Amino acid sequence: MLGKLIKYDLKYGAKIFILVHAILLAACIFGRFFFLDHLDFGRTDSIVVSSLAIFVSVMLFLYIVVCFCTWLIIAARFYRSLFTGEGYLSWTFPVSGVLHLWAKILSGCIWFFLDCFICAAGIILLVTGSNVRDAYFAIAPEVTEYFGMPPGTFASVFFIYMLVSCICSVISTYFCIAAGQLFPSHRILGALIAYFVYSFISQLLAFAVLAAMRLFPAGAYTDMASGIDAARYTLSIMGVTLIIMVAVSVFQYIVTHIIMKKKVNLL
Amino acid sequence: MRPILECQSLTKKYGSDYALFGVDLALGRGQIVGLLGPNGSGKTTLIKLINGLLTPTEGRILVDGQAPGVETKKIVSYLPDRDYLSRHMRVKDVLAYYMDFYKDFSAENSSRMLDALEIDRKARLSSLSKGTKEKLQLVLVMSRNADLYVLDEPIGGVDPAARDYILQTILTNYNENATILISTHLIADIENVLDRVVFLSAGQVTLNASVDEIRTDYGKSVDTLFREVFKC
Repeated sequence: MLGKLIKYDLKYGAKIFILVHAILLAACIFGRFFFLDHLDFGRTDSIVVSSLAIFVSVMLFLYIVVCFCTWLIIAARFYRSLFTGEGYLSWTFPVSGVLHLWAKILSGCIWFFLDCFICAAGIILLVTGSNVRDAYFAIAPEVTEYFGMPPGTFASVFFIYMLVSCICSVISTYFCIAAGQLFPSHRILGALIAYFVYSFISQLLAFAVLAAMRLFPAGAYTDMASGIDAARYTLSIMGVTLIIMVAVSVFQYIVTHIIMKKKVNLL
Repeated sequence: MRPILECQSLTKKYGSDYALFGVDLALGRGQIVGLLGPNGSGKTTLIKLINGLLTPTEGRILVDGQAPGVETKKIVSYLPDRDYLSRHMRVKDVLAYYMDFYKDFSAENSSRMLDALEIDRKARLSSLSKGTKEKLQLVLVMSRNADLYVLDEPIGGVDPAARDYILQTILTNYNENATILISTHLIADIENVLDRVVFLSAGQVTLNASVDEIRTDYGKSVDTLFREVFKC
């Protein structure tokens, strides 16, 4: 049953997902072959810098839109299939509430992971031109020294961090929607309030933990005399926020489970 | 044989309001039961409880001796009083959807009914009229070989000709050992198919009798009795 639930979750929104990611990849291919490949990084005039800045801004905006669309597919599927009229069918399938929740978590993670891999593929496509690589190799030693690790290593660590935060993000989204439906006449508003309340509390929690560990403000690392210190600081921050994120997600999972087991009331 | 549906001191509260209060009810197998009552009497709440869409505040509800859950959902076929299918799906996708999740779904029965109704399997639900959509939903529900069919307002939104078809569909497509619980306001239309009626008023059962008993004891039709009991 789990496989069937996931299959139907993935079927929903597949067309939109494919469309927006196809647009992203097309933009990356277009940007690579019609813009980046023609840039001469040896030139230091402002035209190169400003055109590059505009290009990066446009691509960044496109990436945000694509990620938002993926999130929207995940949130819409969860809300529509379980808390609108469609819920009358979903909840009467011979499937337990916890299986519904796991199916949604797994399908949400699959969407987000696919999104991450396609986005990463787009970036790789953009930056693997010979001119970009040559420009990068020219500054690689300085960048490595500044960050305390090669950018490739940092990108890999960041990618793993992103994959874990995808799982947390899926659970948070479901938590907010499930909490929102406790207010039958204002479900979406309830979900938004749940989002802001949870964000505020988790930010406060992160701030308190980082302050207690002297990671915020920069604390023991204020000097950051070497790149090694900067790397250690960055990795510490990422590690601590990841642990907080996972802890919050576990709490949100438990609450969502309870709501789905005892507090669902379809209109 | 144990009853297919049993309520023991069943109570459901929304905040401080009682939707159902101390309901005791037992329904046997192989009958068509009308669940009748005015708006707000608790009919839909009872139906939601049967289907595990709500949990009781107090008391118990048992379907075939079990609390609503995965096992009871395998034997209950439920028709809600609203659209519950995604508008973007095609009729054939909906059939596949039902077949995937309900082992007792009969593709043969559904095909026969769809053919009789001339519903195009390639049509999107968004392109179907309200009446056709309601018929399709009924076809899906009645194509299951369930022990308990729970139909919430199955004829509420369709014209009188379609009502006849729907009632005919209900009568010809259920296993005689199964029980059908129909909630409706259109009593006169369904009275002839009912074996038993349950009157709900303000969350309590005020009458649970066979249609024959009503006719004999009260000398009235169910529709007339309902109008008298629930006169505004």
